[in-house]
Amino acid sequence: MANVFTRRQFLGTASSAVGMIGTLGINPALFPRWMPRMAFRDTKSAGSRGDVLIVIAQRGGMDGLSAVVPYADGGVYYDKRPTIAIRPPNSSGGAEDDTAIDLDGHFGLHPALRPLKDVYDAKQLAVIHAAGSPDPSRSHFDAMDYMERGTPGDRMTSNGWINRHLESAAWQNASPFRAVGIGSMIQTSLSGIVPALSLQSIADFHLNGRQDQLIAMQKTLAGLYNASAPASALGTQANEVFSTIALLGKLAASEYTPEHNATYPETEFGAGLKQIAQLIKAEVGLEVACVDSGGWDTHDNETPQIAAALGELGQGLRALHDDLGPSMANVTVVTMSEFGRRIEENASHGTDHGHGNVMFVMGGGVNGGLHTHWPGLQPDQLDNGDLAITTDYRDVLAEIVTLRLLNPALGAIFPGFTPTSRGIVRAR
Amino acid sequence: MPVNRREFLRMSGLAAARLSLGMSITWSGVRTVQAAEEGNTPEAMHLLNRVTWAVRPEDAAKIGQMGSTAYIDWQLAYEAIPDPIVTAFLKAQPIVNLTYSQMAQLAMQKNGDDQINAAVSWARVYRAAFSERQLFELMVEFWTDHFNIPILDLSAEKAVDDREVIRKHALGKFRGFLLASAQSPAMISYLNNDANVKAHPNENYAREVMELHTLGVDGGYTERDVREVARAFTGWGIRDGQSNPFYFDNDAHDSDAKTILGHTLPAGRGIEDVLNVLDILAMHPATARFISRKLVRRFVSDTPPQSLVDSTAQVFSTTDGDIRQVMRHLLTSTEFMASTGQKFRRPLDFVVAMLRLTRPKLDTPDPILEMLYTMGQSPFSWHPPNGYPDSAHAWMNTNGLLKRWNAALAFVDDSTVEMGIHHSFDTLIPTASTATTLVDQAARLILGGAMMAVDRQQVLNYVINDGPLTAEQLPIKRAGVIGLLMASPYFQWH
Repeated sequence: MANVFTRRQFLGTASSAVGMIGTLGINPALFPRWMPRMAFRDTKSAGSRGDVLIVIAQRGGMDGLSAVVPYADGGVYYDKRPTIAIRPPNSSGGAEDDTAIDLDGHFGLHPALRPLKDVYDAKQLAVIHAAGSPDPSRSHFDAMDYMERGTPGDRMTSNGWINRHLESAAWQNASPFRAVGIGSMIQTSLSGIVPALSLQSIADFHLNGRQDQLIAMQKTLAGLYNASAPASALGTQANEVFSTIALLGKLAASEYTPEHNATYPETEFGAGLKQIAQLIKAEVGLEVACVDSGGWDTHDNETPQIAAALGELGQGLRALHDDLGPSMANVTVVTMSEFGRRIEENASHGTDHGHGNVMFVMGGGVNGGLHTHWPGLQPDQLDNGDLAITTDYRDVLAEIVTLRLLNPALGAIFPGFTPTSRGIVRAR
Repeated sequence: MPVNRREFLRMSGLAAARLSLGMSITWSGVRTVQAAEEGNTPEAMHLLNRVTWAVRPEDAAKIGQMGSTAYIDWQLAYEAIPDPIVTAFLKAQPIVNLTYSQMAQLAMQKNGDDQINAAVSWARVYRAAFSERQLFELMVEFWTDHFNIPILDLSAEKAVDDREVIRKHALGKFRGFLLASAQSPAMISYLNNDANVKAHPNENYAREVMELHTLGVDGGYTERDVREVARAFTGWGIRDGQSNPFYFDNDAHDSDAKTILGHTLPAGRGIEDVLNVLDILAMHPATARFISRKLVRRFVSDTPPQSLVDSTAQVFSTTDGDIRQVMRHLLTSTEFMASTGQKFRRPLDFVVAMLRLTRPKLDTPDPILEMLYTMGQSPFSWHPPNGYPDSAHAWMNTNGLLKRWNAALAFVDDSTVEMGIHHSFDTLIPTASTATTLVDQAARLILGGAMMAVDRQQVLNYVINDGPLTAEQLPIKRAGVIGLLMASPYFQWH
């Protein structure tokens, strides 16, 4: 952070001026005085009155049958997974780290998801099993692509479902933080005409260089990129960079401390969630954030790997939940993965690509509990040998978009799809 | 035994490679750089910009002497190009040319993995920057992405794969390339073909060899084909401790009959099943199209002109996948000629270009490797099998742009001396003593030509921002100008 120039001097050339966007209805008194507030010119209406949406993309195909164990299905599950099955709750001889945590007498959470049990009991966690994208592809790249573009099976869609939501929304939001993709590459679901910010670290988001040259260099660079009147996609990006530098500079000026003893995992995923929380509290106009979670492609030696990946997920979601506290009333988090995994384990004590999976939805507006139309694990109940899908992932997203994000334009966001109401979230 | 070889990447962008449908980043508004050398046509400069990692004055002089077609042929016959700098470099470093057994032994020692990783990664960067065989190095990079294997957890295997598979076949014939890749211990491990046995087939490699290496996801294969190909590959394995670790275990092989892509593979065979499958895949017209499209994307444009994809696929098919001939066709095509400035430099391209043009003395490769890591393109570090994305859209975002600017500014900063990077900008731009000669010389060195007048003026204004250029200010402003040019839009496109 050494070579930082005075941002005020630069703010003069940046495009964003000052004004207020009231977004979340959060009581400012809830946050410490030192927490900087960003401000944006309010061009038309007052911005979104809906939840902040956080989408967690689990890359690799999470094993939903390990995350949420259908232990009461008995025989089939245990026969097909002789070495990697999770024991039923209250099994004798079971260690705490391989015994499911009961949810409803039929399903149990993987023990590594223990941090989420309290959230579940507080009715802020919805668990939807046998969910996913109906496209039969078992290819990571295809399945993820279809899922993120929101039109499974259709290769012609050029943008992501979240971008279509932002594009079709009835309100305006000029904030550069309207849509944030955590990481170095913007998620496909965010791709499209509405600009999204790719962000990896708030603290590092500034130009580095010789103190005495930096202001002049930055000015020259902006000029070379025509940042004030961009003639190209690159110029537009450059403009975004300069605006964001100015604004994040203020945010980075003070150290962020999570509230309520929330402890995020010390991983990229944890850092991503923490920064999203920071952006939410700073009221910068964030509407949607995307973050990636990895370690799910458990083709061999699944047991320790799924425990580690679920541990990180559970700890991260719990930390986010605790850190945001009462703000969770205005936040919805949803997880999804491109497909689940096969019921039977393979020869390497792992699992290969399957179909039906688990989605989690967390937030103050959630109807907590299990929302599963369980198809069963008997051979005649499977889809091509794998767990079937009885809840299209777009049913879950459509409900969130209409009831929590307050955008009714489902025909634009999920063209060619008629969602089924599932009762997973309540209307705002 | 390495644990988690197929650790899936946390980063997104995996689907960015599929962005060809209606999602192009237009480059209009980017200004082309004028031809530098007297007598060099814009076409020749454009060719140089695509078949080298960056255009030095000596490259421009060479193509001026030879003419474009002869230059292409010269570069394609890479084995005949003397490469003294790289030869000396390889001779002086102890790891890159170790045998498989030596490499495996080193990997087992404490930090052995890291040493191999660092050595092979640095060799990759060094060769790209300083080899005379520039086009060959670009082809190596293309195939490294195409047959992607991350080096993490597989350092010895991937180090050998780089040398014996990728570099051996990068300008060879595709059929032999495919077999070498299929037999590479790195590939076998990475895509779990060593766990693929008759009793429990593992479909991972079978799927990726069709989806990513040959036919492409639209190539017309079915899930049944994936399963049958997996059966064909059963028994394929690795035996540690051997000089050639690949082996075929007949007992683990499923020798029943198979039907793949309409072909029947009779029962009772062993390794012939695989050789048969690889023939089918290599010769398939979808393979010719898939590979041609990728090559056109890499060397021409993010929106590959269909006419060039088609004609290139034709050459691929009629020459049985002769990569040299395919490239010769591509590089001499009219579509190629019309694509000036349309490719966006990926982080590796960017860093290599900086090195190639400024030739610093480096005490240690660490700061360069660190820079690549920060920018998200460490060599051999893309975890899924599809390789680093090849579209401007994947790399051109706010985060990526800021990191690029910071890399350029850090690269020229005088604090680089503490990191072991020693520049000699005074030698590279010896005559600069006025603001205008400084800016013009720097533009010639870094951009290969002059900027547009309005941009040249902005850079001049930077130089005289604090007053007329003094002898004291010169080194500071000189470094600043070089950094600015490397961060400028001009340097991001080629």
